[in-house]
Amino acid sequence: MKNTNKIIIAIFAALLALPFCSWSQDSSKKELVLNVSYYMNSNKALYVMTSAKTKVAKKFIPVSGVNISLFLDNDSSAYLLGKVTTDKDGLGKAIIPPALKAAWDLSPKHTFKAVSEASKDFDAADAEASITKSKITIDTLADGDVKTVIVKVASFNGTEWIPMKAVEMKVGISRSAGAILSAGDEATYTTDSTGTAAVEFKKANLPGDEKGNIVLTARVEDNEELGNLTAEKIVPWGAALKSDNSFFNQRTLWSTRFRTPFWLLLMAYSIVIGVWGTIIYLALQIIKIKKIGVNSNVPLS
Amino acid sequence: MENSKYLTTEEITRDLLPQKFGTRGMIWTGILIAICLVGLFAYYRQLRYGLVVTHMRDYASWGIYISNFVFFVAISLVGSLITAIFRLTNVHWATPLTRIAEIIAVSAIVFASLIIIVDMGRPERFLNLVTHGRIQSPIMWDVIVISTYFCISLLLLYMPLLPDLKIMLQFKEKSGKWLNKLYRFQGSFWKGTAEQFKISERGITILCVTIIPVAFSIHTVTSWLFATTYRPGWDSTNFGAYFISGAFLVGAGGVVVAMYVFRKYYQLEKYITELHFDKMGKLVVMLSLLYLYFNINEFMTPVFKMKKSEASHLTDLFTGEYALMFWSAIIGGLIIPIIVLLFKKGRKPMPMFIIGVMVVVGAWFKRYLIVTPTLLNPFLPMQEVPASYHYYFPSWEEWAIAMGSLAGCLLVITFFARIYPIIPIQETITEQNEKH
Repeated sequence: MKNTNKIIIAIFAALLALPFCSWSQDSSKKELVLNVSYYMNSNKALYVMTSAKTKVAKKFIPVSGVNISLFLDNDSSAYLLGKVTTDKDGLGKAIIPPALKAAWDLSPKHTFKAVSEASKDFDAADAEASITKSKITIDTLADGDVKTVIVKVASFNGTEWIPMKAVEMKVGISRSAGAILSAGDEATYTTDSTGTAAVEFKKANLPGDEKGNIVLTARVEDNEELGNLTAEKIVPWGAALKSDNSFFNQRTLWSTRFRTPFWLLLMAYSIVIGVWGTIIYLALQIIKIKKIGVNSNVPLS
Repeated sequence: MENSKYLTTEEITRDLLPQKFGTRGMIWTGILIAICLVGLFAYYRQLRYGLVVTHMRDYASWGIYISNFVFFVAISLVGSLITAIFRLTNVHWATPLTRIAEIIAVSAIVFASLIIIVDMGRPERFLNLVTHGRIQSPIMWDVIVISTYFCISLLLLYMPLLPDLKIMLQFKEKSGKWLNKLYRFQGSFWKGTAEQFKISERGITILCVTIIPVAFSIHTVTSWLFATTYRPGWDSTNFGAYFISGAFLVGAGGVVVAMYVFRKYYQLEKYITELHFDKMGKLVVMLSLLYLYFNINEFMTPVFKMKKSEASHLTDLFTGEYALMFWSAIIGGLIIPIIVLLFKKGRKPMPMFIIGVMVVVGAWFKRYLIVTPTLLNPFLPMQEVPASYHYYFPSWEEWAIAMGSLAGCLLVITFFARIYPIIPIQETITEQNEKH
């Protein structure tokens, strides 16, 4: 009997312990890794991108639906850039608002902060990235047949713009999905002591738009001091694209129903008319048989 | 009826008039209706939940429905063989088989049309073929030729039936009220005048001439649905002839099975004699040899070259996953029939019935082998797709619908045999009188 009591007490104890077990699982939340980056397009559009990811089976996977607050320099509400929720790729984006212009102009260096509070799945997390205000310009130089793309990068020290040397960047032609086809032979280029990267344009006869325009792009990616900078310039250095719509006007087996080849129309309709003409003729013959039967002297069954 | 004793008109009429179902007939009909109802329920589920209830996926996008469709189209070709070709070539021994062949053709083509709509998933989209159809597409050709073949087959079934309707109207007591109404609606105007016979005979001859190219078209176009698609196993110029020869074989097999069953059930031994089985046996041998020849043509050249793109498909068929089904269909549905039917004893009714069943079943699986293994061996290898995409085995809903359609086809034939004479009465009387 004593043993029975012990077993019952043990079962109760186990049942009572269950909620604590589940509670203890809460304490083993996954670690959320945040990242924050600064972007500047054509020296105008300034924004901050944040990403959230976590480690599963030794691999980082993006986490969607994470609420992240983004701040400029100070994580108080006065310096709030915006609150974002990460998308399916674990990304969120906030534009630097005009309300923070004064704070932005106050210093040549800034720090962006990303903060997410603890949730039922993840612990609280934060990240920050510091940048120096900078600008990037793209220009072209044509000397006979030789065309050159000139990219200049400079940083602001509070009073003047200082050329930035040894900044690595991609210089080339914008392609689909944000890709850049290098303008020269190298994959990337680096600015010299004058903050300039000169790239000889070697991609002649690339298809452009109807006027032969292509978009030259210079892009600094994930630079520790400057962040992500992009500059673009439209130049008529491509081959004018002449859309060949004659294909769509041809009568082929793979055209639309309104462009059926005449020979096929002729064949198909001849056969259809021939065969269905015969069927209609035979139907008329049945009517004729019926009339003969109705008009004959033999009584109807 | 060749070399048989003289039968009076009354005897022929009495023997060939449609008979009420006995116990076996009722059980048979009940089973078919039950299978059809299960198929209808499965189709309701497919309409309710979508094609996801099937096991067709991105690669095996044509499955058992299309195999069934090709099978129905194939077996329907027998109408043109037995009725048209034999009639035009004055082969009189086949007269008792013409109506069996025609009703098989009509019911098969009806269910071929239905099963293709089932395969579409969204039946209302069939109208898109009318509103957005392109005449360049073999699918449009198939729609046109199937509806045309159906109309011609129906006329070829109806016109020779007119004299028999007149005979049946003379036995009102035997037929019953409703059937008499039906007979009167369909053929009360037939008086059997010389002029009516003349128009009817000419009409039947025109139909026989017309149905042959249409029948060839229907199966050639069906083969083109595959051959115009660039896939291993389908990329063949042999496909039209390969399909037609196979269709004639399965059609002849179907007629053999049907003539045995009707002969046994309705005691038609005086009309469907051992001579008919003997001649049909010889015909099946000839058609089997023809189909075997096209099979060798179809597989010999790709096997000899064994191109990388075709190798996986051919290996699957010959030694792989589908080898058992493939060799069973070839040996059971082709080789054994040839061997057995070469002997006179093999062409007796019972062995003929067994061989007929083997031919039909083998033909059904052959259609499955034409469709599925090819789809699972695309030119571009399957990568990063769910594991279920690599295999195909029909879901219970697919089986139920497919079996329901086969049962439906048999049900149409069964009801036809209950309502109309399965052997033409008037033609039998005329031939008897001409002979004696």
